[in-house]
Amino acid sequence: MAEQAAGIVTESGGVHGASNGRTGRMESFVYDDQIVRMFVTATIIWALVATLAGVLIAAQLALPALNLGVEFTSFGRLRPLHTNAAIFAFAGNAIFAGIYYSTQRLCKARMFSDKLSRLHFWGWQAIIVSAALTLPFGITQGKEYAELEWPIDLAIAVVWLGFFGVNFFGTLAVRRERHMYVALWFYIATIVTVTMLHVFNNLSLPMLVADILHGRTPQSPAEYMKSWSVYAGVQDAFMQWWYGHNAVAFFLTTPFLGLMYYFLPKAAERPVYSYRLSIVHFWTLVFMYIWAGPHHLHYTALPGWASSLGMVFSLMLWMPSWGGMINGLFTLRGAWNKVTADPILKFFVVGITFYGMSTFEGPMLSIKSVNALAHYTDWIIAHVHGGALGWNGFISFGMIYWLMPRLFQTEIWSKKLMSTHFWIGTAGILLYVLPIYTAGITQGLMWRAFDETGHLQYPNFVETVTAILPMYWLRVAGGLLYIVGVAMLAVNAFMTWRGRPATYQVTTHHAPALSSVGYEDPSIPSSDLEANTKFAQGVDRVVLSGWLHRVWERKPAKFTVFVLVAVAVASLFEIIPMLLIRANVPSIASVKPYTPLELAGRDIYISEGCYNCHSQMIRPLKAETMRYGEYSKPGESVYDHPFQWGSRRIGPDLAREGGRQSHDWHVRHFENPRQLVPQSIMPTYAHLLKQKLNFDSIQDRVNAMAMIGVPYGADVKGANAVENARAQAKKISDDLVKQGGYQDMGDKKIIALVAYMQRLGTDLTAPVEAPAAAAPAAVPETAPAQAAPAPAPTTAPAAVPTKEAK
Amino acid sequence: MSMSELMSMADLSLWPQLALVVFLGVFVLVMRRLWKSPASEINHGASLPFDEGEITSTTSAGSNR
Repeated sequence: MAEQAAGIVTESGGVHGASNGRTGRMESFVYDDQIVRMFVTATIIWALVATLAGVLIAAQLALPALNLGVEFTSFGRLRPLHTNAAIFAFAGNAIFAGIYYSTQRLCKARMFSDKLSRLHFWGWQAIIVSAALTLPFGITQGKEYAELEWPIDLAIAVVWLGFFGVNFFGTLAVRRERHMYVALWFYIATIVTVTMLHVFNNLSLPMLVADILHGRTPQSPAEYMKSWSVYAGVQDAFMQWWYGHNAVAFFLTTPFLGLMYYFLPKAAERPVYSYRLSIVHFWTLVFMYIWAGPHHLHYTALPGWASSLGMVFSLMLWMPSWGGMINGLFTLRGAWNKVTADPILKFFVVGITFYGMSTFEGPMLSIKSVNALAHYTDWIIAHVHGGALGWNGFISFGMIYWLMPRLFQTEIWSKKLMSTHFWIGTAGILLYVLPIYTAGITQGLMWRAFDETGHLQYPNFVETVTAILPMYWLRVAGGLLYIVGVAMLAVNAFMTWRGRPATYQVTTHHAPALSSVGYEDPSIPSSDLEANTKFAQGVDRVVLSGWLHRVWERKPAKFTVFVLVAVAVASLFEIIPMLLIRANVPSIASVKPYTPLELAGRDIYISEGCYNCHSQMIRPLKAETMRYGEYSKPGESVYDHPFQWGSRRIGPDLAREGGRQSHDWHVRHFENPRQLVPQSIMPTYAHLLKQKLNFDSIQDRVNAMAMIGVPYGADVKGANAVENARAQAKKISDDLVKQGGYQDMGDKKIIALVAYMQRLGTDLTAPVEAPAAAAPAAVPETAPAQAAPAPAPTTAPAAVPTKEAK
Repeated sequence: MSMSELMSMADLSLWPQLALVVFLGVFVLVMRRLWKSPASEINHGASLPFDEGEITSTTSAGSNR
């Protein structure tokens, strides 16, 4: 198949190239540049989509009316669309374009299968379109950067590993260059690790499976898509940030480093500064990155040892990251005159510089005391966008501009426009990140500011929002500049494509095939350890001398296994204790599963993307416990599939929201937040007051939860859950009438969401009941006629951890 | 005794130190491998992006229009 696709012409001949490791017959072959053209085109299109979505949601934060009052365009639903489009559509297609171009050249072989290349391209675009068609409809798993539901997740696994992975490793297998260049190592690490991350973080139970096993039929098309993470609470948080951090590492860093190591030397017309350093860079990065995920969970309910481990490895990451940056920039030594004249090199230099800045800032943010200020603020947003717009964006743009004349076989349409893109893009990044750094630090300081009497200086959260609105407007301006730059790229690419020749020239290359005949691996060196045992000498000769590694660098399968071991060992070191050790997640006797109605409300909370703006995790910091109440305990979220701790506080934390406000307050607030808080930037959720709640589906939700270990007892049987939910809904509805006059809300979605909001954080102070696993959950008294006081910050939890988690 | 109970008895304070030792071992191996590498091998590796195979012919593909 591969030979047919590649059109390989073998020629008779003797042994060639033995001196540089090639010993087979001479073969002719052509590279598949059409697939690169396809991925480049998709990259540009999705860059426009991702940045436009980004500017829209940025504008929504500055001007809430831009949510348009439509449920499909609210910030909570569009923000995942923006992040998925930026990461998987824009950066993903850029990665594929670069990998398909460079892998063929570095292997001196056409891609293993043209058919797999096309399946990969169209499969990936179909996945992106599926994301665009589901996320605005609130179809989401509710885990950041892993929002896509299970059918799309399965498709990602097939396309990523089945099409892309097989095609890539197949190409390595038929390559004509024995040594694998370091860029290929980065690609291998990317494919292997992303597969592992994607599979394990997305383990979930689809509602469809629960329905089938309970002999029920899905109640709506959306139910076919719905699933819940098999992990709960702190374990889910750990898995999610193991995934989230390493998605940055192995989707936005390692593949782009591979591209840097290939395209920068090509553009600069000189080899990389130090090939030795690139090898150190690779192994230290691959080995260390995977440990660093827990730094996303400092001061949360995550155990301290895991948090400290994440911090230490994050700090160590400084070294390989800066080694890589220095290696990139030093590649241009003696050629800085070229940089002044060549916009492509300018893109690379600024991109690599942003890599260095982001990888300096990342470890700094992982230091606990810095993290205490920065976490949940816009500082993190600025950090992420420095990396995404500067590093990923500019490396992609530099690569595309370098590729354009080669792919379209004509001069770039406008070098001036390319140069303008560079300057306007750079200005756009700075105009984006500088105000958002300011916003983040401002908000973080305001959250922790005390007055002279020891009280919070800004007790009203919205004060800390209005203070940063001017910065939000500047961000919109910066984003618009960046988009103008992307539009310039699109115009330049289109016009260059229009100027292409009537027929593309196809160049046939010539190289000897690899053959084991007449080739031997380098001999094992002698050991320097003369006065040692035979065993030690053997280890020294084979392992310490680097002989084994040198041989493995020529054997893709063994090399891949070695990479997999490196990332898997690090992962298992952290994950196994988290999953197995009971003491890490002590449960709390008073913490019970959500009632069926609250569970339905929780799914609405997830569907609306509330976690994009609200955390549910109060850190054990004075300013936080004074503002929100008792700090969060790991045992409080043992039934949360998925966890909803969040990572950003555009709005206040909701971990202790239950009982703070009346039902009426919540309904009015959802209907239009500015009725109650004039400065609020929250979208309206008036549709929840109109749309009917599907009570019949609640039984399916409870059944599914029971299957993943939530003790629902008799609620799983018959239609107990539905009856229970209707009873609780009626009670809340009746209370609403008494409190504010809202009529006929008993069958609306808002009732379920209010039930969930009123439950949040109340278990900690709830009376401990006798175990009643077999009894249906009683309708709780969660309907305060008036706003109940928040739990006193200094109050010790009524429920002491008494029993072990499952 | 379950696996969960066994793991609960493990002293987790050693975990980060053990992780650092594992890393140090790998780092030493990589450095040693590079220390021993002949310059010719390193130079060959660094030059690979510039070797795309010899060009033997150039032909026209089908129409682009």
